[in-house]
Formats: sequence, structure tokens, C-alpha cells
Amino acid sequence: MTGTAADQRYRQVVLQPESYHAVLRGIEQIVAAVRPTLGPRPRFVAVESPSGRNFLPERLDNAATIARRVIALADRDADMGAMLVRHLLWRQTERNGDGAATTAVMFHIIVAEGIRYVASGGNAMLLRRHLERGMRLILDRLAEMARPVKGKAQVTRLAQSICYDREMSGLLGEIFDIVGEYGHLEIRTGQSRGLEREYVEGLYWDGGLLARSMLPEGTPRLEIENAAILVTNLDLKAPQDLVPTLQATMAANRKGLVVTAREISTDIVALLKANTHPGGFQAIAVKIPTVDVNLQAETVMDLGVVTGGRTFVRDSGDRLLDLTPADLGHARRAWADMNHFGISGGQGDPRVLRQRVAELRRVFHAARDVESRERVRKRIGKLMGGAAIMHVGGLHEVEINARKEIAERTATVLRNALREGVVAGGGAALFACQDVCRQGQEQAMGPDERAAYRILELALAAPLRTIIENAGYDTSHVLAELQFAESGWGFDVETGRVTDMLAAGIIDSVAVLRAAVSNAISTAALALTMDVLVHSKRPETRYNT
Amino acid sequence: MNQPRATVVPDGVYALTASPEFARDALCFAAAESGLYRSTDGGLTWEPAFASLGEAGLTLTTAVAVSPSFKSDRTVFAAVPGGVLRSYDRGQTWYSAFLPTPPPLVSALAVSPNYAEDGTLFAATLDDGVYRSADRGVRWVAYNFGLLDLHVTCLAVSPDYADDETLFSGTESGIFESTNGARAWREVDFPMEYAPVLSLAIAGRRGEDRVIFAGTESAGIFRSGDAGCTWQQILSGDESSPVNAILVSSDYPSERLVLAVNGSVLVISQDGGNTWAESPLKHPVTEMLTSVAAPAGLGAGRPLLIGLSEGGVLCI
Repeated sequence: MTGTAADQRYRQVVLQPESYHAVLRGIEQIVAAVRPTLGPRPRFVAVESPSGRNFLPERLDNAATIARRVIALADRDADMGAMLVRHLLWRQTERNGDGAATTAVMFHIIVAEGIRYVASGGNAMLLRRHLERGMRLILDRLAEMARPVKGKAQVTRLAQSICYDREMSGLLGEIFDIVGEYGHLEIRTGQSRGLEREYVEGLYWDGGLLARSMLPEGTPRLEIENAAILVTNLDLKAPQDLVPTLQATMAANRKGLVVTAREISTDIVALLKANTHPGGFQAIAVKIPTVDVNLQAETVMDLGVVTGGRTFVRDSGDRLLDLTPADLGHARRAWADMNHFGISGGQGDPRVLRQRVAELRRVFHAARDVESRERVRKRIGKLMGGAAIMHVGGLHEVEINARKEIAERTATVLRNALREGVVAGGGAALFACQDVCRQGQEQAMGPDERAAYRILELALAAPLRTIIENAGYDTSHVLAELQFAESGWGFDVETGRVTDMLAAGIIDSVAVLRAAVSNAISTAALALTMDVLVHSKRPETRYNT
Repeated sequence: MNQPRATVVPDGVYALTASPEFARDALCFAAAESGLYRSTDGGLTWEPAFASLGEAGLTLTTAVAVSPSFKSDRTVFAAVPGGVLRSYDRGQTWYSAFLPTPPPLVSALAVSPNYAEDGTLFAATLDDGVYRSADRGVRWVAYNFGLLDLHVTCLAVSPDYADDETLFSGTESGIFESTNGARAWREVDFPMEYAPVLSLAIAGRRGEDRVIFAGTESAGIFRSGDAGCTWQQILSGDESSPVNAILVSSDYPSERLVLAVNGSVLVISQDGGNTWAESPLKHPVTEMLTSVAAPAGLGAGRPLLIGLSEGGVLCI
């Protein structure tokens, strides 16, 4: 239903206490929808297909995706709460790959209990301040608990707890045991029904040969040993520009030349072909990847560091006419096909390369937004000297895409876990953080502070409680047993026993949990200070998909 | 002390090794510029080990290693430009395995202590990083993920390799560690300004007792007692005293004996590297000591073989 422009001018103002109740109504709807997905025995949520009622509903078990399918609620007041939690869950997953359901149940408890406290006369602003102070203590406690992830077996177990796919977790365990936290993993659509992986030695980029005629007939790929590399993103037009490069290559006694360029003319192609001799010297030109100017410059810089070559950059006004043999990079092996080119055994100064990687790691940790971090991580991954490619197959495109999405998400969690470590899984680490809140309550200076720690204590038990409920066990019985257990012990729903979670291999990424705690508490604290809601009287468009 | 100079190793010696059964068979090998040499009398006399290869045997040999289960498998490995040769009959006849072209120069060979079961050995190269063979030297695959410096000069495999799959590589710019059998490497926090690292030795078992020693080209010897997180310089050095080899007692830390070649002198520490004493050679040499082997382990009165840069092997 579409409203008129006039409708949009009229605003609905919702005051206390209705505003709190409305927000909570919206939050509860979304949280109730995602709650069944938490834990190792998740249940699915069926979502009506956006294509219409005659199509099969989607079966989803990912909290963030479920929340994202809810575009708007019919109840406009509740919709504001629903959108708050929807955005929260998506942000949690986008940055951390997992933890949306954990975030949801914690967020719900804090908002619900917080509203109850404020309604009974508590101060929302003071409550917010104490919640945020408690959050910092919990984050510190989680960091203290973290243990490094070591070995293929541990990485595999962590992957299994995220993707619930034995084949995929086995492969990802192997891959991340090799490529590590920054390593380059490319997830491609496979040709078979299952999963396959391959490892590529050295570095490679998208952007293959600039002319098909450079490829010998009948061969899909060209390999050059002891190749000189001209590292540039220039447009090469005039053959005379490249003559010093060819002379320098001969002087350096290299077996071949690889020119990286943005564009080359047909005259340049002819010049390179004229200097190519079957079984002897080979000269090719490959396309420097991407249209993004900054990315292109970064690629040129990295290639220069790896091969030890001087970089000739378009925007710096560099020219090739003064090139000397020392300006050329060198790689033990170079290869190219029509889509990619790569090198292995780059002969750049290893000290410079290590300094570049260390510098990029610092940039990575300082980067705030997801895109920048991902871009820097990819650069580091390439410089590490190898890549893994995972081919994801399936019966049909929908299945393949779903599996690729799960693989990407799991990979994000594994990277974070390798970087920051793991803690006891199944909600046990959060449950163990309750001691911080109990201590906070004992030392509290006033009722608002005491209430904040009490609320946080309840929120920290919520994920464990939900996992037990979802697996069909008696919550009160298990929680009573856990009160006498040591820190880090939890409930293994597969065996139905209270156990040492780390020893049993039931682990969670501490980065995911810390993000979940941070997101849930800070967003809930903010929500508690929203006294008044203002929205248009009639929605412009209403969908409920 | 009997200290004859062998004259049948005519040129620079790169590496030395001996049979684990040395006390019984007195068999040892020397990798030299003109090929591999073999001695069956504890290093007193030497004969070319590549004789069965004819003229092809007169080739630069840069590393040599024997199988830890030599008694049963009689296997020897020798590195030549672009490949690794293997012998299953105590170095009489040889089979070749090639490394990917262009041919790299192998700087060190290291065999898994669990070789009898895993059949694994490693080849460090000066051009292409580390190659690993998991089928007793038949096929070799580059294992360089995370190895940011492919100019590898030495390798040290953990004595507990069967359990921890740990090995270290010394490179032109520092040290790297792998905890998964070379499938992936990570940088060790060794100060880059003291590299290149020419020799490495791992002492003690897993955990707190483990100590790593690193010998450098011009900065002496370093020691780490925390798996490479921090390093302490325990012997200073200069450009004329490269530490080409370090040996540690197999009973470390109960016997804290460390031996190293430091330029043209042999140095010994009885206390895990805290203090060093120059070990007097009966006939002092002016040339560089390139390698050292202790066929019967380190200890008073036990034999030592020392390779010389201008040719020959000293037997102490």
C-alpha cells in the first residue's frame, strides 16, 4: 500500500511509556524469530519467498539473514524496535561472520530488564553509563580467557561449530592451518557436486595477457623462468618506449620479460612478439588489475616490493626512457593466462618485504571500516606468498550460492579466531563472565549501578539458557548443575553432560563473542535512552517478507 | 689427541654427517665442491661417494644427511644443484630427484626424527625457500606459505617432530617457524639487523626446557628460551667469524654442552651458552671452519669431525 505525499507530512509522536513498550514489542518479534537458530542443534525458520506465495519458502538458520528478510513490521511503533535489532544483527554478522543469535538474545534481555528498571523509577542515563562500564569489564574478562587456536584439528572444530558441515569444516580447517589469519582464500563456484581445494604457490592477480596472440597456439597458459618484470601501470603506446626495457632485460641476462601495464598498443604487441623465440626468450604483457586507481597503485607497489623492481606509476609522471637493468624486477617463475598472471620466487629484498607486511598489519589493526580492513588483509594475504582456492559445488545455483555464503562467513570467523583466540563455547565463556557482574553488584555505589550489573548478569546467561532450551533440555536443572562447576565448564548438548568445554573441543571465537557483547550492550544502552518515537503516520510502503 | 688432516677431500667442505652407528661402522660423509666423499674409518681417509655416477658425480654437493633409521634403511641424501640424490646402500649407488626449474641451490637438508614412519625430509634452498618430501626423497614440493624470505640458509627440526611438527628455518633476514611440518611459516621475532642466520640448533624437549640457538654471519650466537619470542646474544661476533654450525648435547638440559664453529675457531660452552671457551685445535687453522659433526654425540673424549673452507676434514 502506498501513501500519498500528504500522508508523509503527518507525524506520529509516541511518548512514554508507550514508546518503550512499542520498541520492546518490535525487538521481541525479531528475537523470537532468530532465537531457535542458536546452538549446535538449530531449528530452521521458514521465510516466504520474495517471489510470491506459490514459491517454496526459504529455510534459514542464520539469524542475521532471517532478520534481514524482515523489511518492515505492520505495527509502525514496533517497527522502530525491530529495525534497531535488524541493523544490529546484520552489523554483527557482516563484521564478524557469526554471533547474531547470541547478540539478539543478550540484547533482548538487557532492553527488557532495563525498561522494567526504568519504569520502576530508575535513571536511564545512569543505567546506560553503568551498563557501558560493565561492558568494558566483561570484554576484558573475555580477552583474559582467550586461548590461541592451534592446529588443524582445533580450527576444524571451530569451523564445524559455525557451518555445521563436516566436509566444509574439514577443508577450511586444513586451509586455515596453512594460510593463517591473513592468508588469501578465494571461494569459487566449482564444477563438481562437492567441495575441492587447491593451493597456488606465489602471488597471482586477476588480469591476464593483454593480447591472446601472445599465448602459443594450443596452450592455455604461459610460463617463464628467471623473468625480468617491468612493474608499471602505464599505457604503453609507442614501441620506442619499450626498447630500453628490452635492452635492460638482455643486459640482465634474463630468460624472459613480463610487462605489467594498463593498456598496450598493437605496435607494442608486435614488438614483444618479434622478440619472442619458441624455447628461448619470451616477452609478454599482462594487464595490471582493477579499474580502481588506488588499488592499481597498491598492486604496483606490492609487485615492486616482491620482485625488487622500480615502480613506474602513471600518476607520478614516470617514463620508461631512463630505465636501467637495476630497475627491473626479477622472479624465478612467472606465468600468465587470459585471466590471471602470477609470480613465484620474487627476488625483492626480503627485509623490505617483511617491513611492508608489518606495516600493512599495523594498518589493518588501525582500520575502522570493514572494507578497508578487507582490502588490507587481501594485500597481506597476497604478500604471504601463496593462496588457497576453494571450489564450492552443488546440485543447483541456489545451493552453491548458499554454501559459498556459509563458507565466506565461516572463513571470517576463523580469521578472527586465529587473530584473537578462542574461549569455551556453547555460551560457557559468557556464563563464566557473570563473576564480573556479581563483583560489580557487591561493590556498587548506588541502585542504578547495582541494577546495571544485575541486568548484565542475566544477559550473560541468556545464550547458554537458549542453547539448552533449543536442544530440548531442562534449563533449570542444567543451570543448577553449572552453578557448582568451574569457570569454562558448560553444557554439551550432544552428550547431555556438563563438561570442560575447551577440553571437549567446544570453542567459540573470542572476537565474535566480544563483538556480540559490545554490540548488544552498547545498542541496548542506547535504546534505553530513547524516550520518544516520531514517525510518519502512515508508511510509504508496507512489506512483510 | 690424534688429529690427522685428510687430504682426499680436496676442496671446500660444505657439510658433514655421520652414521648413527658410527661407533660400529665408522661411516661418515663430507659434502664438498667436487662431490660427496665417504669415509669408513671415522674420517681418516676419504673416497668419492659418487663414483658410481661417473663424471656426473664430479658435481658441487652442498648438503648431506643420513636417515635416523640408517641401521635398517641405510639411506643417505645429498644435495646437488637443482636436485637431491638418495642412496639406499650407505652411499654406494644413487637415485636422483629434481627440484622444479630453474635449478635452486640447496643449502641444507634436514630429516624428520620420525623418518622411519613419516618418510619426511626437508631441503632448504638459497633461491626457492623450503622443499618438503613426504615419500623418502622421491618427490619434492615447495612449502613456502608465509616464508617471506626465500633465501634459506639452514634448518632445524624439533626432536619431538612426531608430536609437534615443528621446525625452524634460518634465512637472510631472520628466522621463521613452522608448527605444521612446513605447510605454513610464521616470522620469529629475531632482530633483523643481526641476520643472516647461518645455523640453528634446538635443545631440550618440548615446553619450558626447550632452547633455540641461532648462529649468525657476523653477530655471533643468540639464544631463546621462549620458543623464539625473545633472543639474547650469548656470544658476540664480527664479520670474520661466521657461526656456520652449532651442536648441542642430546641430553640437554641435564648436560648443557654447546659447541659452535666461530670463524676459524671452535668454541664450547658447558653451561648452555652463558660462558664460552675456545677449544684448542692441535694444529690451529687460519681458514674458516664450515661444518662440524659429533658422530657419537657431544662429550669429553668423543670424536668430532670439522669441515674446512679450503678443503679437508679435521678429525678430533
